[in-house]
Amino acid sequence: MKFVNKKNIFIILMLLPSTFLLLGLTIFPFVVGLILGFTDFSLIRPQNGMRGVGFENYIEIFTTEEFWISFKTTLIFTFFAVTIQLILGTLMAVLLHHNSKTAPIMRALYLLPLAVTPVAATFSFRMMFNPSLGVFNFFLESSGFAPLAWLSKPDLALISLIIVDIWQWTPFIMLIVAGGLASLPNEPFESAKVDGAGDIQIFFHHTLPLLKPYLALAVIFRIIDAFKTFDIIYVLTGGGPGISTRTLNLMAYRYGMEYLELGYAASFAIIMLLIIILFSQIFLRKTNIYSTKVARL
Amino acid sequence: MKKKNNNKFMLPPNRQPFRKLTRRDFVQASAILAGAGVLSTFNGLPVFAKANMDELMPMFAKANIDWKQASGTEIVVGGLQHPWFEKHSPFLDSFTELTGITVKHEIQSDTEYVTEIPVKLGGGSTTPDVYMVWALGQSVAAGWLEPLDGYYNDPNLTDLSWYDLGDVFNSAKAFPVWAADNVTYGMSVTAEAETLFTNKTMFDKAGLAIPKTMNELYDAAVALNTGDQAGIVLRGKAAGDAVTWPGGGFIFSYGGAIVDANGEIAFDSQEAMEAIDMYGKICRDGGPIGIGSYHWFECLTEFMEGRSAMGLDSSNFATDFANPEKSKVADTTVYGAMPSAPGQTSAKPNMWHWMIGMNANSAQKKAAWLFMQWVTSPPTSLMTSSLGLATTRKSAWSSGDFTDAFGSQAAEASLSNLSNADGDLFKYAWFHPEAGAILDQVAIALNSSINGENVEKVVKKAADKARKAIS
Amino acid sequence: MSVNYLIKKIMSYFFILLFAVWCLFPIYWLLSTSLKTNLQTNSKPPVFIFKPILDNYKLIIQDFDIWHIFFNSLIIASGTTFFSLFFGVPAAYALAKFKFKGNTDFSFWILTTRMAPPIAMLIPFYVMYNKLGILDTHIGLILAHISLNLSLVVWIMRGFFEDLPKDIEESSYIDGASYFSTFYRISLPISRNGIVAVGILCFLFSWNEFLMALILTDDSAKTVPVGISKFVGFQLIKWAELAASAIFMIMPIFIFLVFFQKQLIKGLTMGAIK
Repeated sequence: MKFVNKKNIFIILMLLPSTFLLLGLTIFPFVVGLILGFTDFSLIRPQNGMRGVGFENYIEIFTTEEFWISFKTTLIFTFFAVTIQLILGTLMAVLLHHNSKTAPIMRALYLLPLAVTPVAATFSFRMMFNPSLGVFNFFLESSGFAPLAWLSKPDLALISLIIVDIWQWTPFIMLIVAGGLASLPNEPFESAKVDGAGDIQIFFHHTLPLLKPYLALAVIFRIIDAFKTFDIIYVLTGGGPGISTRTLNLMAYRYGMEYLELGYAASFAIIMLLIIILFSQIFLRKTNIYSTKVARL
Repeated sequence: MKKKNNNKFMLPPNRQPFRKLTRRDFVQASAILAGAGVLSTFNGLPVFAKANMDELMPMFAKANIDWKQASGTEIVVGGLQHPWFEKHSPFLDSFTELTGITVKHEIQSDTEYVTEIPVKLGGGSTTPDVYMVWALGQSVAAGWLEPLDGYYNDPNLTDLSWYDLGDVFNSAKAFPVWAADNVTYGMSVTAEAETLFTNKTMFDKAGLAIPKTMNELYDAAVALNTGDQAGIVLRGKAAGDAVTWPGGGFIFSYGGAIVDANGEIAFDSQEAMEAIDMYGKICRDGGPIGIGSYHWFECLTEFMEGRSAMGLDSSNFATDFANPEKSKVADTTVYGAMPSAPGQTSAKPNMWHWMIGMNANSAQKKAAWLFMQWVTSPPTSLMTSSLGLATTRKSAWSSGDFTDAFGSQAAEASLSNLSNADGDLFKYAWFHPEAGAILDQVAIALNSSINGENVEKVVKKAADKARKAIS
Repeated sequence: MSVNYLIKKIMSYFFILLFAVWCLFPIYWLLSTSLKTNLQTNSKPPVFIFKPILDNYKLIIQDFDIWHIFFNSLIIASGTTFFSLFFGVPAAYALAKFKFKGNTDFSFWILTTRMAPPIAMLIPFYVMYNKLGILDTHIGLILAHISLNLSLVVWIMRGFFEDLPKDIEESSYIDGASYFSTFYRISLPISRNGIVAVGILCFLFSWNEFLMALILTDDSAKTVPVGISKFVGFQLIKWAELAASAIFMIMPIFIFLVFFQKQLIKGLTMGAIK
């Protein structure tokens, strides 16, 4: 079959606009970033221009304690935030699925955290977390507990950030899983019920496996985005207390935008990119999203 | 900058005409008229202000320059949401009337502004034409700022005798001068100093006197730190723009420095470590829980809500404290000098002048300069200070309207702190090209001290990191 | 109705309500802040019962800028959604239905466009846009947002298309229809709901996107997140305006969501074709 046939032309035409657009917009920044990563360019030393330094930036980054600590912090944040969102989002999707009368309004309400302007929501949280004036400690104290230093104790700060991320993004997962649930065929469930299986069993043995592609999709996107989280960390803790909430992205921002060390920051960004590519490759292969079972033409 | 000036600044004789216009009787007259429902506000300005601006317009004509030489152009003034914008915006119409130049404001939150400016200016943008400068060292090293000496000295653009540089605070004049080449790269627009605020009611109730030394400060903070209120609020957030400013004042007051005159990292000296230790102790034992994440906002709010007996932060807070629509402590705040460290007669409070600079790539430099000259000129300073802005002119600070809006006791305390401040110590650190990295480490050290970690260890570590960053 | 069933029902409703409170509380807090005076905003103890005032809303409604950024965001989010779908859905279809060399790698490449940390893109994008002259234009920001959203559209729609039952399409081919007309006449309508769902996600992402909007727009094309952030300053946070604007912006979205949520869920139905 020659290459230029109806099928291939169709494929190319369908793919062309997106390819063109994405390439056009991302190739330049990517190449610039790549090149910058090999220089020590800094906006405050423009007279030096772009001096190549080979892999010096990369070596320096990998040998600083600061990189590994922020790496660890980013991992902890991403892992806990996404895992809890996943469980919570799935739980809520399931509950709504079985209580379809209230579902319509509830779903719209549940989506509000995604719809409210992030800067307003983040500042709202900042005030609510305030140890002496905030509403959270007010509730704690009214119930007889001691107030918490939400954003100022090292470990607690990271937990507070995870809480905010969960608040914002659980709806996203819930949305995707809800759709998945709505699409599941009914037969396996009916036969299982007839067989006398309990609800929980049905869920774990039947529903969950069928939901896997949707869960995987939701998770991969959340991992990619959570890895890049910036706004809430910057506004609520600024990386503190100490350096306990400094994630990789925050470090890259500090170096790039605050110290204006663009070369170094670019290397940081490239390393982050490589890390997330590695993780997603592993994840995608393990969850088999590239399913070959789907009949393709 | 070692002036010790406790007497009211005397106005030079030719300023008398201005004084007459802002006299209290004028205020009373318009208050009567306002009460009669005849006049209230004009464009949101108290009516006497608008009237004064109209009266003051001929004062601009006295300047021996052609204000209209850039007529028909438009300039962009960029900055972060700040009282400076709020207080000079009402007068922009007069500026346009005077010069024919239209001014567009681009205002953002501080995070957004600090992100956007390097991208824009680093990308060679021609706007904003004038922008608020927060890191002089960075801007100068990157070549973003237009040197201003030429503009000051050009008789076609500036009437120096009318502009009266003698009226401007010395520290404000020295601030934007870049040490390495003695070139002026910016123009100061506000003046603030680290000042102590105390809640008189709480102090009287506890029978305590306002602390004058660091040890007294510690004792008072601990004594006043009850369940219902905090003893003191201080910034604690571990970011270069947060805890570092008040903390720096502590370091300077103990006789230390962040960066010394030779450009070397100096905050791991014995004196500096003592200061950092004391800062942490006061916060821990005398401050509210969670003080480690406090920024100016939390400090301001807490004191304003009457939840803290003391605060140690920028004198600019006075404008908000004195506003009964926002503040519960308007009648009970007493301002004081920053407490002195053991062995020192007076403190070295930290200070700050917001500056505006001209974009080196601007296409409207003449217009930009006219704006800069106008906004800091004697008449305009008088007007903006009447709304409560802490300007850079002695005439403005001692005008009746300013002391009404700001509070005369607040003004006195701020001025004394300002005169005790050591501008050089500040500049060595904050205007270092690598200031970001240095101040970041100082912030981590201070914040760790607040968290109770071993001061010597964290300071040494931070200092080493800072040294590495500037090498 | 067994007791077991009742207990389960009650527990479900309890959790559903609890989660609603969790989602809504910060928004309720914003709402109540927008109705308070400055003095009440940060009081301790927090003020729950008070006389609401509408002054803050009056303030922002009279602010010309608020309407300006509202319409900008509307235009940009709509444009982003439309074009993301227009470009992304066909691409997803091709990737889902056809086995060809590089399918997997191409899909992965699309995913990677979402992975770049924003810091790496800010200055290059600014310089690029400056040279092309599309700074501070609607189309400029729309393009940037599309590039951020395409990965989402392609991957989710690809999942949809993969799960479409093959029989309907196969019978279309047997009848002699071309690939394109099958796509256009059969597959698209069936997936209409899915497209709506993904579209809504696109819209929300674009509506709330901040960093690109900050860098690539000035006055003309300024969007809601950037415009609202001006209320947060240094030594000055305008709580009243911030909260009122946030609530003002979320109203239309909420109505929009309630209206379309039926589509939304049915939409994410991957393949349950009746």
